Amino acid sequence: METVAEPQKSSHVDDTDVVIETRNLSKVYRDFWGRQKVRALKALDLEVRRGEIFGLLGPNGSGKSTTIKLLLGLLFPSSGQALLFGKEASDVAKNERIGYLPEESYLYKFLNAEETLDFYGRLFDMPAAVRNERIPKLIEEVGLTRSKRRQLKEYSKGMTRRIGLAQALINEPELILLDEPTTGLDPNGIRWMKDKILRLRDEGKTILMCSHQLADVQDICDRIAILYQGELKELGRVDSLLTVQDITQVRARGLGAEAQEEIKEVIARHQGELVSIDNPTLTLEELFLNVLQESEERPGMRHQGN
Amino acid sequence: MTIEERVPTFFEWLLPSADGIGALVKLIIVASAVTFLGLFVSYLIAAVRHGPIEAFYRVAKVLFTGVGDLFRTSPRRVLAMARLAIQESIRRWVIVVFAIFIVVLLFAGWFVDPESTQPARLYINFVLTATNFFILVLAIVLSTFSLPSDIKNRTIYTVVTKPVRPSEIILGRIAGFAAVCTVLLVMMCGVSYGFVVRGLDHRHNVDLESEEAVYVKGADGKPVLTGWQGETTTNAHHKHTFFVDQDGHGYTNMNRGHRHRVERTAGADGNPVYSVGPPEDDLLARIPIYGELRFLEKDGSVKERGINVGDEWQYRSYIEGNAPGSVEREEAVWVFEGVTKDRFPHGLPVEMTIGVFRTYKGNIERQILGEIWLKHPSKNLASTKDLFESKEFQTHAITFSPTLERELTAADLQRGSARDTNRELDLFDLVDDQGRIEVHVACAERSQYFGMAANDMYLKAAEGQFWWNFCKGYISMWFQMVLVTTFGVMFSTFLNAPVALLASLLTLVFGIFKKLIVQWTSGQIEGGGSIESAVRILRQDNVMVDLEMNAYASRTVKGVDWVVQKLIQGITELVPSYAEFSVSDYVALGFDINFHLQLIQGLTTIVFVVAVSTVGYFFLKTRELAA
Ligand SMILES: Nc1ncnc2c1ncn2[C@@H]1O[C@H](COP(=O)(O)OP(=O)(O)OP(=O)(O)O)[C@@H](O)[C@H]1O
Ligand SMILES: [Mg+2]
Repeated sequence: METVAEPQKSSHVDDTDVVIETRNLSKVYRDFWGRQKVRALKALDLEVRRGEIFGLLGPNGSGKSTTIKLLLGLLFPSSGQALLFGKEASDVAKNERIGYLPEESYLYKFLNAEETLDFYGRLFDMPAAVRNERIPKLIEEVGLTRSKRRQLKEYSKGMTRRIGLAQALINEPELILLDEPTTGLDPNGIRWMKDKILRLRDEGKTILMCSHQLADVQDICDRIAILYQGELKELGRVDSLLTVQDITQVRARGLGAEAQEEIKEVIARHQGELVSIDNPTLTLEELFLNVLQESEERPGMRHQGN
Repeated sequence: MTIEERVPTFFEWLLPSADGIGALVKLIIVASAVTFLGLFVSYLIAAVRHGPIEAFYRVAKVLFTGVGDLFRTSPRRVLAMARLAIQESIRRWVIVVFAIFIVVLLFAGWFVDPESTQPARLYINFVLTATNFFILVLAIVLSTFSLPSDIKNRTIYTVVTKPVRPSEIILGRIAGFAAVCTVLLVMMCGVSYGFVVRGLDHRHNVDLESEEAVYVKGADGKPVLTGWQGETTTNAHHKHTFFVDQDGHGYTNMNRGHRHRVERTAGADGNPVYSVGPPEDDLLARIPIYGELRFLEKDGSVKERGINVGDEWQYRSYIEGNAPGSVEREEAVWVFEGVTKDRFPHGLPVEMTIGVFRTYKGNIERQILGEIWLKHPSKNLASTKDLFESKEFQTHAITFSPTLERELTAADLQRGSARDTNRELDLFDLVDDQGRIEVHVACAERSQYFGMAANDMYLKAAEGQFWWNFCKGYISMWFQMVLVTTFGVMFSTFLNAPVALLASLLTLVFGIFKKLIVQWTSGQIEGGGSIESAVRILRQDNVMVDLEMNAYASRTVKGVDWVVQKLIQGITELVPSYAEFSVSDYVALGFDINFHLQLIQGLTTIVFVVAVSTVGYFFLKTRELAA
């Protein structure tokens, strides 16, 4: 496979279109004495552009959450840089334009939905008028109108996820970071979440999400990156990554069962009615497992395609 | 009983003086030292992590963002954080603490000795100590558990990914918990005020059997009725004697720190009817003016201290007495300033509490006599000497009236008959141009001693409101609560909850005993430092002899001790002296809490809150919250 989308250095592209940029971003978790515990992220170079849905994939412990936390300034890089809107991740001012849905909704359980959104709205220094306008709308959007007066500790997992999303959207962010947005949701909820994410993209927002639900990622992401043990293994547009370039797929019609044996022959001779010739696509699951398998066989190498 | 500490005026405290460098200079020194040390240590840590040059930029960057964050602090965000802290506290059943407090008060009867001779002091001390304890423990628990639990529950992730500055998180928390504790303090103040007043309230009736009419011999030799005296019934474990005049108005005697008004009217059946009022004069807030104390030796020379009678506790100095008129005795002289006619139109009210030291028992029933008189500070002009009976450690209230009798001088005596001289003396003739007057006290018995310290005598300038003084006691407690909360929040920015709790408690204990620690570290306590003391204990040496070892070892021990002492001294400078916030003695002993004292406390609190939250800011700013 040809490399479709190598990470480009942003400097010569339209700068304003690059929302997230990481340069050689690495993270080593250390203990209290500074001894190395885990190398969670190794020299990650990424670029996320305005208006796309970017998926971060990888098995458990591959460094997805670490990446997001580095981007948010919750962790400090051991080396390299993480830039959002061209500003350092440690800069608090960038948070004005960001929404973040954590792995689990880390919200105050003793507040109800309205109080939660009101609290986070105040943290954006929103005047009461703006809060009063946005909060009911958001609650409506995430479908919690009926339970908006109940404390979050009474919420089910799906409801918690919804209020978590509402909280991430309170400031109408340009960039939304979603850590496993669909876990814990029922199929209905997953559908809702995916639609919601697509709608946000259509509104021009940029979305970075990580997930294990490969089918969901395949459905909605424009581009993906696959991490394995802190290393970037695969990066590109979803459609091109899933296209198998060196295999040709032929679909035919009007051939009888007894002609099965002849098909190969017929096709070999380029005869018969050709309906289509193209390359087969993998499911994302197949790609994912391939990448992992290959990474285990040849550690340290970037995935070379099949 | 008197307050032993002399409160400096605000400016005496703030500015350099003969007694010390003053708070301002000290603040500058300590702040610079902490800043320098903080920068140095931060640089070292950054250098280890990122190399010496990169480290420089990192430290500088954190400092600059710090300054920037200060200007970007949004009141709305601080208030939002404060509100959250309040909601969190309510959820943690803070009100339970209040409930426990009430229960403790209800059962306080077990703690408060009903037989006490000073029930007001006991009650006031009890409620103030109890409230102080409750509120400080609550403040420590609230402030140290909040941030660590946010970090542990990771709720902090959703907060710090909003445009919230660490300063706002810290200030919001301090404000929120302080608000919770303030509400509790106000409630506790009300409840405990009621507890004190109701606890002390009791009534007596007059024991009619004991009533006697009091007569004096009139001009014509016939007895004239002046009033009635008698005893009250025993209530609340005590009784009083009383005297009412012919018109039926009067008071009981002072007993257990209070007295009652007594009214006598003739009843319908001709029998007298008495009514006895509520306790009075037990809840006071006297506003004293203190003076300077010096001593005159037998030869009339001045010295700072009297005789040390071998009491370990050298707070009081002793003067030796002699018969009235004898020159072979010592005198205590207080000089009071600011004595004007406007301030003391009805004479000079002096209150005095002195100690008595008997070299021989004599008649133990009879009290030792003393003499007290006023004198002009520079002129040879004095009032006649008044005799008083010294009641050990009881307060004597003496009012010098505006017109006095002049003491005869040697010149008068030379001139001849004393009867001819005009001895009328205006009180304010004894006051010099600077508004000063001297009060002299001498012991009027041979070989007996009086002990006194500067604060043992004061002019009673006015009487404040007790309830307001009680509230001022709570204001001082409020300051302590704010300090403790600030330290708690600061510790919780980089320690986990139990360790932060421990650190806060240690700071509190350190702060309470700061004075003692400072005394130890500045070598005012005999026996040397920790290592020297250990050596002494091992070798069972006396603390007064020099350490017996070879010179080198001895120098090492002393050197190490010096370093340890300086280190501890340095640490104590970083901790507020909570003893200076403790004013329960003022309230309990009935002295108005000086405005200057509270100003000093308030300013100290502000300085510590600013400094400690700044430290907390940098801890939180440089902390990896997700690590
Ligand atoms: N606070 C931490 N301290 C030490 N090691 C950590 C810490 N957080 C994560 N790690 C380690 O870093 C590596 C990457 O973790 P990370 O949470 O980024 O994985 P992930 O890709 O999000 O996994 P998952 O899919 O399970 O959420 C793991 O090996 C993990 O053990
Ligand atoms: Mg994760």
